[in-house]
Amino acid sequence: MAAVQVSEAEKVYIMHGVRDDLRLDGRGCEDYRHMEIETDVVSNTDGSAKISLGHTDVLVGVKAEIGKPKAMVPDEGYLEFFVDCSANATPEFEGRGGEELGVELSNTLYKVFNNRQSVDLRSLCICPGENCWVLYVDVLLLQCDGNLFDAISIAIKAALFNTRIPKVHISEDEEGVKEIELSDDPYDCMRLNVENVPCIVTLCKIGHRHVVDATLQEKACSVASLLISVTHRGTVTCVRKMGGGSLDPESIFEMTEAGKRVGKALHAPLMELLQKEESLGKKRQKVGFLG
Amino acid sequence: MLKSKTFVKKTRAGGVLKIVREHYLRDDICCGSEVCKERKDEAPVLQEDACIESNLCSYPHYLIPDTNVVLHQIDILEDPLIRNVIILQTVLQEVRHRSAPAYKRIKDAIHEKEKHFYTFTNEHHRETFIEREPGESANDRNDRAIRVAAKWYADHLAKKTNGGSLKVVLLTDDRANKEKAEQYGLIVYRCEEYIKSLIGNPELVDRLALQPDDQNEITDSKLLFPEHLPLSRIQSGIKNGVLLQGTFHANRDNYLEGTVFINREGEDINEVLLQGLQNLNRAVHQDVVAVELFPKERWVAPSSVVLQDDSPNDEDAEEDETENKRVVKSENVLKPTGRVVGIIKRNWRPYCGMLSQSMIKEVTGFNYKVNKVFFLHKKQTNIYIHVKKLRHPIKFHGVLYQDFNAYNLLLIFSQRIDMVPELLSSNLCSLRSNVERLAFSCIWEMNHNAEIIKTHFTKSVINSKASLTYAEAQMRIDDTTMNDDITKSLRGLNRLAKILKGRRTEKGALTLSSPEVRFHMDSETHDPIDLQTKELKETNSMVEEFMLLANISVAQKIYDEFSECALLRKHPSPPPSNYDILIKAAKSRLDSAKALADSLNNATVENFPYFNTLLRILATRCMMQAVYFCSGMDSDFHHYGLASPIYTHFTSPIRRYADIIVHRLLAVAINADSTYPELMDKHKQSSLCNNLNYRHKMAQYAQRASVAFHTQLFFKNKGIINEEGFILFVRKNAIIILIPKFGMEGAVFFDNKDKPSPRLIFDSEGPTLKVEQHTFRMFDKVKVTISLDASNIQHQRIRMALIEPVIPGVSVPVPESEPEAKKPKLDC
Repeated sequence: MAAVQVSEAEKVYIMHGVRDDLRLDGRGCEDYRHMEIETDVVSNTDGSAKISLGHTDVLVGVKAEIGKPKAMVPDEGYLEFFVDCSANATPEFEGRGGEELGVELSNTLYKVFNNRQSVDLRSLCICPGENCWVLYVDVLLLQCDGNLFDAISIAIKAALFNTRIPKVHISEDEEGVKEIELSDDPYDCMRLNVENVPCIVTLCKIGHRHVVDATLQEKACSVASLLISVTHRGTVTCVRKMGGGSLDPESIFEMTEAGKRVGKALHAPLMELLQKEESLGKKRQKVGFLG
Repeated sequence: MLKSKTFVKKTRAGGVLKIVREHYLRDDICCGSEVCKERKDEAPVLQEDACIESNLCSYPHYLIPDTNVVLHQIDILEDPLIRNVIILQTVLQEVRHRSAPAYKRIKDAIHEKEKHFYTFTNEHHRETFIEREPGESANDRNDRAIRVAAKWYADHLAKKTNGGSLKVVLLTDDRANKEKAEQYGLIVYRCEEYIKSLIGNPELVDRLALQPDDQNEITDSKLLFPEHLPLSRIQSGIKNGVLLQGTFHANRDNYLEGTVFINREGEDINEVLLQGLQNLNRAVHQDVVAVELFPKERWVAPSSVVLQDDSPNDEDAEEDETENKRVVKSENVLKPTGRVVGIIKRNWRPYCGMLSQSMIKEVTGFNYKVNKVFFLHKKQTNIYIHVKKLRHPIKFHGVLYQDFNAYNLLLIFSQRIDMVPELLSSNLCSLRSNVERLAFSCIWEMNHNAEIIKTHFTKSVINSKASLTYAEAQMRIDDTTMNDDITKSLRGLNRLAKILKGRRTEKGALTLSSPEVRFHMDSETHDPIDLQTKELKETNSMVEEFMLLANISVAQKIYDEFSECALLRKHPSPPPSNYDILIKAAKSRLDSAKALADSLNNATVENFPYFNTLLRILATRCMMQAVYFCSGMDSDFHHYGLASPIYTHFTSPIRRYADIIVHRLLAVAINADSTYPELMDKHKQSSLCNNLNYRHKMAQYAQRASVAFHTQLFFKNKGIINEEGFILFVRKNAIIILIPKFGMEGAVFFDNKDKPSPRLIFDSEGPTLKVEQHTFRMFDKVKVTISLDASNIQHQRIRMALIEPVIPGVSVPVPESEPEAKKPKLDC
């Protein structure tokens, strides 16, 4: 990942600041940076969202395609993730540099989102055992400035909220040959219930305390971080420890509690914002990538 | 300004694709009218004084038709009277999508300068572009786009003419659209309303197409045929054995019957009988179709009814047919029966057809819809002769010429259609007296008992001493005063021929008879004046005998040389069941050709010299078709009719393609020529044989049709003729009568559509048919009148009616003797 060089003196300064709940940019330990979200930014996807968190920029597109359900769960659809670490984000991603990170990120995303507690996978089923919707979630990193997981998870939630799947119905002739028919009306769409879609909150252990939404400099001071996915009710659905350093059980507990608190507080304004944006309808002036 | 159009499409693989297209809007699109003075980069199309006299619109106006008006009333729009029409892009796109011919016609109209048709690209105009709204169907959106564009025009023209009189009129037949447009403040009329209002052009009303959605809707939309299955279901049906795939062959006598030959191996059923129009289900001769077999209890036997396709509307006939089927059931020769459920591959070719008149009477205008098209797949009067592509150069009597894969010289109406060019066929390949000609000879050394001592094949140069017609030769033989060399050798040949023939007959060769007819033509009008049956002379038989011998010798030679790929001709023995009718007729026993020949020779009845001929005609009908085949593909070589173990065609290379192949084989066999791969490939040879057999059959049909046609022409000029004839067959509803004088057959029907039919009792064992009091047997002598029924110009046919025996209500009175007035007409 994009690394910054931080001198010992800077580290001490950051750590002391965190201890006093005052970070470099003036935030408290559980504060996020300024966040901007816009949905429906890519017209040829079924749902899309762009988020900028500080200088971290992530674009998520969701495409729905008809596929075959997995044999184990014939009555469910599924999600596929692909994270593209564009060389635009940081020069280190050039060539195959971003591949490892991309795979790591997408593996985490499978764990967090591709289960029926998070997304109502049953609603993606068209015809049990025969056809289902497969949601291809493509994540494009446009700029890296720390805290990728949180930014990606929020963008995915927003993109899933924005996703409109064309309605289909199955017609069957006398011989039992099924055929999928599309609705003639492009406005006749199915929406996903994103209520239970979790967000990821990453907590970085700095000194004896932990911070939310760490910048790259703060990240350099941290030895280990904890990744917690939290639903809007504050339920933790997934926890993952990252980084080489160790965490003692007590601080894990503390961090989890903090994560739940922060995550719960994150969902409510996010949903409010998305609904507000949608209510503007077609007349909304799109900001896009140049704004 | 940029907009994007988004729509979802289903891909062929079954996926769903969201497609986004960029859509640019412009504000510089010209309205195309003369009144608009802005931007004159292109000449205006629409005239300023767009006047057409109308009760409804007395002011100059432009027309804007909606999509359905363009689609259905294109005849009106094409009329030169209709000018100054604005065709909206929305309309044009919809028309293009829905009907290619209509699109082409409207495009043509637009390109015509005098028509003043203007295409307005409203979809790209900033002020007339609209986006589809939620809950709005595509059609509604397009209707709205048309209204918006019409409104824009109305406002635009009003502005440009400062509230002048130029207006736009929207034409639509959609009631909902009309109402909405009226609310929107547009001048809108239904097409019919508008056209009827035009003063001084009543003829346009006739061109108005009927509106199916009007009150006078045609409710009688009975399905004429069961729908064909989709291909996917046919394929799965064939795979799991529910359906059978085969080639459909229409029955030549009965248009309500056909057979499907199943060409799948390992299938125990290889023929499926189809009866009734519903079951034939629009299959046309030689289509590859999928058939569904009926359960065994619905199997029927081929009906022995002769059916004429008489009435234009055959629904009643069908019902009759079903009744017939019930009767037929009692017979024990049931065949697998089924129905066509789908057509896998049409046998596309030119069809003759006719449009029957619509049965619906309309008060105004015509109904342009074609109600029914009957395909006359059996009764083609045009004869197409296909000459396939040329394949190899042939070396033929030293002349290099490209050959045809076509078959046979056709004798149609006494006109020869030659297989090879005339120079070859009537000059270079004909042996003329005292001219040297290249030939391929088969030379026998024979003793006086006509036993062959040695056979020799060679290429030769022949200088013929004399060329004689059959009649000339016959005269020389008969004339005892002539004793020159030629005559003597002719007599010698004739003697040998008689021995050969005797031996052949001994072995059981058949002399079968079929009435051959020749027309006497009027040399100028080419109308047939008289017809007569051909007669055979002794010399005919002499030549025939040596030709047969040559053919047999050559067959033996090429078979010895090329056991795998010799092209031979065989005549399979007919199955005993084929003789049923003959046995019934003559009560004779037949198991071999010899027995048949003997019994035919013995079967004579005193005072009835024609009886033998009749029997022979009948026997010919029992025979199988002789066919060409490749020796490597078959094991049975026997020629039944000639009683020869092996046979081929060698003697007529100028009129039969088979002979050319045999010539090549023989030439290779005697080291006179080199071979080529196709000649030695038994599969290619075999497919060639199939084609030859097929072409041969077609040529026969063509010849028969030609004879039938000219027989008709003949009788057309003759009026009504009384003639004697013999009953050849007895059918359930008719008797087939042979007229020896003309060598023609015809049917006398006893059931009539208009009259109550007489009491008919058919006994299939006899077979006899009892009509009222009289019983008809085979070979009974009857008298009939022959006339040409020209009541239906498409179905002219010879009609026969019974005179003798007199059956009240059935037979017709003897007509007055031939109308003399007709005769001079022929001579001029």
